[in-house]
Amino acid sequence: MKTTVIGNYPKVAEDSYGTKVIGALNRWQKGEVNNEDLEQVFSETTASVIAEQEAAGIDIITDGQIRWEDLVTPLAKRVDGFSINGLTRFYNNNVYYRQPILERAPRWKGPALVDDFRKAKALVKRAALKAVIPGPWTFTQLIEDRHFKQPVKCMQALAEILHQEAKALAEAGAAFVQIDEPSVGATPPPAASWLKAMSTITKGLPAKTSARFYFYSPDGLFAKLQDAAVDAIGLDIVSDPKLLGRILKVRWHKALGLGCVDARNTKLETIADLRKLFDRVTKVVPADQLFVSPNCGLEFLPHDKAIAKLRLMVDAVRQWQRG
Amino acid sequence: MLLTTSVGSFPKPDYLIKARSRFRKKEIGQQELRRLEEQSTREWIARQEDLGIDILVDGEQYRGDMATYFAENLEGFAISSLVRSYGNRYYRKPVVIGPIRRKRPITIEWFKFAQGLTKKPVKGMLTGPYTIMDWSFNEHYPNRRAVALAIARVIHDEAKDLERAGATYIQIDEPALSTRTEEIDLAIEAMKICTQGLRAKTITHICYGDFAAIYPKMLKLAVDQIDLEFANRKFELLATFKKPRFTKEVGLGVVDVHSHRTESKEEVIGNIEQALKVFKPEQIYVDPDCGLKTRTVDEAVDKLRVIVEAAREVRSRLGTKHSVHSTSLSTDPERAKRVEGSALSTKARRLVNSR
Ligand SMILES: [Zn+2]
Repeated sequence: MKTTVIGNYPKVAEDSYGTKVIGALNRWQKGEVNNEDLEQVFSETTASVIAEQEAAGIDIITDGQIRWEDLVTPLAKRVDGFSINGLTRFYNNNVYYRQPILERAPRWKGPALVDDFRKAKALVKRAALKAVIPGPWTFTQLIEDRHFKQPVKCMQALAEILHQEAKALAEAGAAFVQIDEPSVGATPPPAASWLKAMSTITKGLPAKTSARFYFYSPDGLFAKLQDAAVDAIGLDIVSDPKLLGRILKVRWHKALGLGCVDARNTKLETIADLRKLFDRVTKVVPADQLFVSPNCGLEFLPHDKAIAKLRLMVDAVRQWQRG
Repeated sequence: MLLTTSVGSFPKPDYLIKARSRFRKKEIGQQELRRLEEQSTREWIARQEDLGIDILVDGEQYRGDMATYFAENLEGFAISSLVRSYGNRYYRKPVVIGPIRRKRPITIEWFKFAQGLTKKPVKGMLTGPYTIMDWSFNEHYPNRRAVALAIARVIHDEAKDLERAGATYIQIDEPALSTRTEEIDLAIEAMKICTQGLRAKTITHICYGDFAAIYPKMLKLAVDQIDLEFANRKFELLATFKKPRFTKEVGLGVVDVHSHRTESKEEVIGNIEQALKVFKPEQIYVDPDCGLKTRTVDEAVDKLRVIVEAAREVRSRLGTKHSVHSTSLSTDPERAKRVEGSALSTKARRLVNSR
């Protein structure tokens, strides 16, 4: 059994690495500091976030996406064809993002996320570092498509781009590439088209791959999930408590990401409850194929609660392993 | 008909923004901050009177975040350390850590202060239980419903106190309602508790969302009026409300609060006339899309002025055709249900009897 996180991590931490990102971004927006100064603050914060996850004992970490505005903008602003629009709500959260608009055919201009990945990799001591990209349907749904005006066409075109990006990340040393697909649950895509887009992304990729579903259950596609061209399926059993029952009824031939710690509420889980959960889930998935994680990114939590939850999660896994 | 009003918040003047920041740094005391909040509230009441607005608001000069303000004044809540809202914006989120109770009235003193400055009605302004719940962490209650219902009971007590203090309009905002349309039943259940037995006219404001998914069900919200953003989506919402008929009064947002540009009078008249194809004139209250707090003072005043001028002009065009005394309330069965069994005011009794 391994522990992991989904992606984003609090950018500010009043109880440890501080709130310097806020000030730096403010001054950068006003033109008072240059790109290098801003990057310096991002790097320092990323170093703290990586060190913290390692100290907590997480096996597969991310760089915390400290430079990311949201799940799609980091790619959209470096892929040709996009402009950035007004604020839109991010799923069913009281959180907003600036929606990219696809104005013309998207074109990959070269790696968008690889620089950040390399920088993070140099900071990691012990853990494995995974790369995260938005899934093809999520990318399609989070943007406004003024070019294709056909979601399936748009998804396939973006899948080609995501493939190039994933390949570049794997070549830069990413042993794990995670593909985030919250939109599959929110607004289900046509199953066959989605499966095709997923295999476009992962084809020939020299890395382990996973698809992550959070905020909503991928109900409509649940039966098809194991046909997706990925090594692991990650599910959020917190947002939809009924999902666990469905997971327990399936014979899993893929690895399972178990999003079981609530990253959208501060209430701490108990070790006893988590251990009981692991007992149940290991009846349908072998322990070495189980990846325990929060249900979604940790950025919805204040930092003190985020780190407390990670420590508790690792504790629960270790206690369960000791039996 | 076509009475003019506002959704709630107005921008804070520079001197008050500075004072709030100095107060946080403990450079000035509570008393000095209060003096400036009162000064700025006085200015906003005077501005609204000068503009000729019919139903005033106090402008919420003394409030920060609309959910946190109530959480800070209720027992059972703590406030979290910083969480990100969007871009580079962070806020402190309420956390429910124990049973939610109201130690003392929250908004009554400010309501009395504002109402004491004018003969026109001032709206009592509350945040709805669904929204406070959705915008808080919960470490105490077993589920979201339990949190929302506990908050609904304290908001009801607060609304009763507002009524006792003389409020004839009470607005209970539910901007979060459009976030999870699958929870509309919970929002309806909670609102029913809030407005139970109230005789004042009740209003709720909901921000833009997927109304097609909750219409006509949202008409079950136990309020007399639903106030909505129409302008920022170019009145597309009207199509949704054509069928079945919108049975409540509507707060018609006719200017976009997110743009710096002031709409022209003709534009706003056009907006009202579009709405008149779907709503009766007696059904409509005219206001901005949402709170104006993100605009500058001048921008807010300009937008309000255009609203008043446009509403006046449409009113005078319609004047000969419609009676000012007719009311749409009698068509709303929810209101009759709500005031049934409570001590009815003459006005309410007349409305119920007229059905
Ligand atoms: Zn609003």
